[in-house]
Amino acid sequence: MGRSPLWLRIIVLLYVGVLVGVPLVFVFQQSFAHGASALWTALHDSSMGNAIDLTMRVVLLALPVNTVVGVGAALWIVRHPSWLSRVVDRLIDVPLAISPIIIGLMLELAYAQNGWLGRPLAALGLRIIFSYPGIVLACIFVSLPLVTRQLIPLLREIGSNQELTAASLGAGPVRIFLTITMRSIMWATAYGVTLTLARILGEYGAVLIVSGNITDLTQTLTLNIGANFENYNAYQGFVGAGVLALTSVIILLVLGVARHRERKRHEHLA
Amino acid sequence: MSISLEHLYKSYGSVPILEGFSDVVPDGSLTALLGPSGSGKSTLLKMIAGLESVDQGRVILHGRDVTTLPARHRSIGFCFQDYAPFYQLSVFENVAYGLKTRKMPAAQIKKEVSELLELVHLGAFASRYPRQLSGGQRQRMALARALAIKPDVLLLDEPFAALDAQVGAELRAWVRSLQHELNITTLLVTHNQAEAMEVADRVVIMNHGRIEQVGVPSEVYDNPANDFVRTFLGPTTMFEGASLRPHDLQVTRSGDGVPGVVSDVIRLGFEVRVIVTRDDGDTIWLQLTHDEAQQLALNVGERVTIRRRT
Repeated sequence: MGRSPLWLRIIVLLYVGVLVGVPLVFVFQQSFAHGASALWTALHDSSMGNAIDLTMRVVLLALPVNTVVGVGAALWIVRHPSWLSRVVDRLIDVPLAISPIIIGLMLELAYAQNGWLGRPLAALGLRIIFSYPGIVLACIFVSLPLVTRQLIPLLREIGSNQELTAASLGAGPVRIFLTITMRSIMWATAYGVTLTLARILGEYGAVLIVSGNITDLTQTLTLNIGANFENYNAYQGFVGAGVLALTSVIILLVLGVARHRERKRHEHLA
Repeated sequence: MSISLEHLYKSYGSVPILEGFSDVVPDGSLTALLGPSGSGKSTLLKMIAGLESVDQGRVILHGRDVTTLPARHRSIGFCFQDYAPFYQLSVFENVAYGLKTRKMPAAQIKKEVSELLELVHLGAFASRYPRQLSGGQRQRMALARALAIKPDVLLLDEPFAALDAQVGAELRAWVRSLQHELNITTLLVTHNQAEAMEVADRVVIMNHGRIEQVGVPSEVYDNPANDFVRTFLGPTTMFEGASLRPHDLQVTRSGDGVPGVVSDVIRLGFEVRVIVTRDDGDTIWLQLTHDEAQQLALNVGERVTIRRRT
């Protein structure tokens, strides 16, 4: 591959720089605008701390669930096609097509205390909307396709011959998955999980509706940032945004290194 | 170990793949399933291995009905056309896979895998990865991996199709001698009639999910049961209203026979093709050996007569 033409490189750099780079720099710059001690105080804001705490608890549940469901759904759709799996294949994209705020409204209608699913759950003493389960549900919903969509084309490309060969050599389904399938899809899964994590951390609209946005109780970090801006506490908002942006940048860097290593390994082998 | 296949049926949706296939593969034979693409031969192979479900009929291995037995309990060595190497594992780990699955002690695995790698001439490649191997080496690795579990039956799906001609020819001879040495019942699928004739001691010719003819290669070639088999096994030419092999015809400058004019002589090495235009405008083509052609020294435009060899 030759180098791309200079004009193309300049346009892409300007485009990415203006759209992504400059605003990102501004968020960090604003966080440091009032000096180190103001930053230190803002970082120890108790509401923001509670919001970070809640966000982490949501991630700890939603991320593993969507990883397992995402891998399982991809395997089902590719390896055991049926009319039902094809329906699932279509439905799984719904969260990408619908605005998160509508997803939030849909979930609220279904799971509110007088909703179709919410009423029986309420009878069991389970409160979904305006509490932790609702937030987790919203985050699972919006990030549902991300792992699956990474894996479906890869699984198709790899084909099932390696798995069938392993079966003929005496391996059961679990051993085949762990020793053959998982090894081939590991990095694509990691990439999908990272996208899922970024999506959950950044989710706003759906969570805004289902959580009720109650400070210190059902406020995730993005909601906390939004609330601070609305309450004329812009500086605190910038610091929250800085924390979130930094987390995302770190995630992307880790992923970049991982992908680079994987590619190197393949080049070495090829 | 013999394989009995009884009235096997298979369809994908409304498309029939196998329509009542029955055959008995004798113990220790090397049988080729020969047929054009879409004749159902690969599906049949997968059904024997348990990698494809059976709609109707039975698969019996050495008297035992295994029709619904999962693939992993069948003790069948299976090699895919693309050899399905485990790309993430080294050559050694590939061959060791079935043994590890059987929880064999590490020391014994090392010993057996080393022996197998020697057998397939990959002793020096144990720590390589499949992407570092050539096509022929991958195929031998896949064979060693299948043989490692000491299978009762070996199934090979188009084993030489992905190789270039010269490597393919070497491996055909090698697989044949290896099969004789190990005396393992082997079934191989191919669409290439020359390959089937060369490697197998028994051929099953398939078309549209059914058997057209079964027999020893020379027998089916010389006495094809029908026009499909005749055309599929080799070139044919029309002579006196009958379909014949082009080497069953003889060309001379004089004598009885159908007269015509030599319109082309194509030299392909051992084989020389002669195309003769009859006086009524029809063309007949026939095959001569290199030596026959040298002796006759035919020229384009010469008048000749053609008759059957006696």
